[in-house]
Amino acid sequence: MDLALSPDQASLLDAVGKLVAPFRSPPAGLRETLLTSTALDRALRDAGFRDVARFDGMGPLDAVLVAELVHALPYSVEYAGSALLSRVLGRDIDGPLALLEAPAATPTRFLQAGGTALIVDGEDARLLAIGRDAVEPVETSFAYPLGRLRPEVRGTGTRLAGAGALVRQWWAVALAAELSATARAAVDLTVDYVKDRRQFGRPLGSYQAVQHRLSECMVAVQAMQALVRRAAALGTPQAALAALVQAKEACARIIYDTHQFQGAIGLTYEYPLHFYTYRLRLLHGELGSPADCAEQLASARWGDAEVDWNE
Amino acid sequence: MDFEWTADQRRFRRRVRDLLEQLLPPDWDVRSGYDTSSRYVSEFSRTFCPILAREGLLIPHWPKEYGGEDLDPYYHWILGEELFAVGDPRSYQYMNVNWAGPAILRYGTEEQKAEHIGRIAAGTHIWCQGFSEPSAGSDLAALSTKAQRTDRGWVIDGVKIWTSGASLADFCLMLARTGPDRHAGISVFLVPMGTAGITARPIPNFMGEFSLHETTFDQVEVPASALLGAENDGWTIVRHIMHNERIGQPRYALAMRGMDRAVALLKQKGRFSGQAVRADAAKAHAALLAARSLALQVIDARAKGQAPTAFTSIARYALVSADRCVADFLGAYLREELMDRQDPLITATYRRTGSTGLAAGAAEIQLNLIGRDYLQLPKG
Repeated sequence: MDLALSPDQASLLDAVGKLVAPFRSPPAGLRETLLTSTALDRALRDAGFRDVARFDGMGPLDAVLVAELVHALPYSVEYAGSALLSRVLGRDIDGPLALLEAPAATPTRFLQAGGTALIVDGEDARLLAIGRDAVEPVETSFAYPLGRLRPEVRGTGTRLAGAGALVRQWWAVALAAELSATARAAVDLTVDYVKDRRQFGRPLGSYQAVQHRLSECMVAVQAMQALVRRAAALGTPQAALAALVQAKEACARIIYDTHQFQGAIGLTYEYPLHFYTYRLRLLHGELGSPADCAEQLASARWGDAEVDWNE
Repeated sequence: MDFEWTADQRRFRRRVRDLLEQLLPPDWDVRSGYDTSSRYVSEFSRTFCPILAREGLLIPHWPKEYGGEDLDPYYHWILGEELFAVGDPRSYQYMNVNWAGPAILRYGTEEQKAEHIGRIAAGTHIWCQGFSEPSAGSDLAALSTKAQRTDRGWVIDGVKIWTSGASLADFCLMLARTGPDRHAGISVFLVPMGTAGITARPIPNFMGEFSLHETTFDQVEVPASALLGAENDGWTIVRHIMHNERIGQPRYALAMRGMDRAVALLKQKGRFSGQAVRADAAKAHAALLAARSLALQVIDARAKGQAPTAFTSIARYALVSADRCVADFLGAYLREELMDRQDPLITATYRRTGSTGLAAGAAEIQLNLIGRDYLQLPKG
C-alpha cells in the first residue's frame, strides 16, 4: 500500500498539466454548452497521453490520473474511455471512442464519423470504425457531441468474442473517472466563487450553511476519486462497480449545490459552470440508472461465495 | 501509488486473525456483544492485551526503545481493523495505544514515560479521556474544570461528561483550566482514577454498558508530575490527540462485517431480491469502501511522517456518512432481527453506527474544519 504519487506519476501529471493549461478557461462569447477542441484532442494524442495505460511500467491507474486533469477542463474531450479500453483490448483506437450497448440505437457521446464505436453485445463486444454514412448527428442541449448509429450498421463490426464483461468493467471505471473529475472541477469553481461573491456585506463562503454543504461536496469528490483510483489499480469488476456507484450517488447533490451557490450567473452560457453540470447530467444515467448499477454491485459483492469484509 | 497490501502486510493480517481465532472464546459474539465498554470485554482485555504485548501486537507502531516493533502505521491500522471487526477485545486499551500513549511519548518527561509507558506497553491498564464537560462539548475550549497549583502539585475541581470507560479505567488523560486564556489556558493531566475525590457515575445509554459517564473531580490532589507538557500548552496536545482519534478506530471494519451478515440473513430468509434492498445495501457498501480508502490516505501520510492536515476531517466525515448509511439500512431492512436481538453482530453494528457522528468531535465540527482549513473559506 502506497497512496502517494510515484516520481514517474508526478512528472507525468506535471507534463499533462502544462499541456492542458491553455485549455483551462473557455473562450469568451460562447452561446451554447457544447465546447470541444480538435487542438486539444490532437495535442493529447501527439504527446502520447492517450496511450499512457499502455506505456511500459504504467497502466490503467496512470490513465485515470491523467483523466483527472483532462476531464476537469471545460472542454468535452473523449479521453478516459479510449485510454483505458485501448489497453484492455490491446489495440489502437482511431478517433474518439463511443461506448454503447446493443442494440446500439441510443444517442451516444462522441459517436462521430472518423471515430470508433465499441458495442457491448451480451457476452461479446463489437468494434466498429465509423464511416461518414454510418452516423447521424443528434441535436442536443447537453455538453457532449452526440451521434446515433444508422440502423443498418448497428449489428456490424468486428466481433470480440467473450470481451463483453471486460469492456463493461472498464467502461464503468472510465465513466466513474469522468464523473469524478468533472464533479471536482464544478466544486472547485464554486469554492472559488463563494470566496469572492459578497452578499449581506460578507462573502457567501463565510456563511456556515454554505460552508457545510461545500465541505460535504468535497468529501463526496474525495470519496469518488479514491474509489476510482482504487478500481483502476485493482482491476476487479467489483471495484469498478463500487467506484461507479459512489460516483453516481454523489453526482446529483453536486449538480444541485454548485448551481445553488453560484446563483443566476451559473445558469448563463457566459459562466463555465454549465460545461460541468451538463456533462454530469448526461453521465449520471450512462450504463444504467444509479439503482441499476448498485444492484449489479450487490450481485458482485454478495454472490454465492462466502465474503470476507477485507476483500 | 500502489493499492495492494504487501505480502508482509497480508502475513501480518493473517497472524492477527489466527491469534484472534485462538484467543477469543467460541461464544465471543454472545458474551461480548461486540461491546468494547462492557465489564466482560474490559476484564477480558486485561488478559488479552498482555498476550498481544508478548506477541508484539499491542504497540507494533511504537519505537523499539518503548517496547514497540518500529513498524509503520499501516501495521497498526491493519491490527486495528482486525480487532475492531470483532468488537475490539482491547476494550478501552485502544485509547492507550492509539493516542494516550503516543501523546505521553511525544510530550511526556522521562519520569512520566517511566511511570506510564511500561504499563501501557504491558497491556495491563486501561485509560480513559476526560475532555467533554457539561458546558464544553463541541466547544471544547470552553471547559471550566480547574487545576490550581499548590505546594505539592495541583488540585483539580470540576465535572467531566460522556467519559468513555471511566468506571473501568485506571488512569485518565484529562484537560483542566490553568489560566484565563481560552486556548492558552488549558493543560493536560495524567490522573490515577483511584485518587481520592474522583467519582465516575455510569450514564445508561444505547451504545454500550460503560461507554458514558459523568466523572466528578472534587478537590482531587495530584503531584506536580501529573502535568503533561508545559503548563497552558494543553491545546497543542489536544490537537495532536484529536488527529489520532478522528482517524483512530477503523469503525468501518465492524460495519462491513455487519453488512455482510445482514445480507446473508436477508438472503437466507428470501428478502434480498427486490431492487431497493439490493441497491441500498450496495450503496452502503460503496460508502464503507470510500471511508476505508480515505482513512488509508490519512494512514499513508502518517506512514510518511507528514504533518496532520484537515484531510483527517474529510476522512472522518466519510466514515460518519458511511455508518449512517449502514444504520439506515439495518433499520429499514432488518427490523425484526433488531427487535428481538437475534444476532449480536447486527445489534452491535446498529448500536455502534449510532455514535460515529458524535465521537471524536461532532460531524458538524469536522465540516467547519474542512471549510476553514481545507477549502480555506472566509471567516464568518
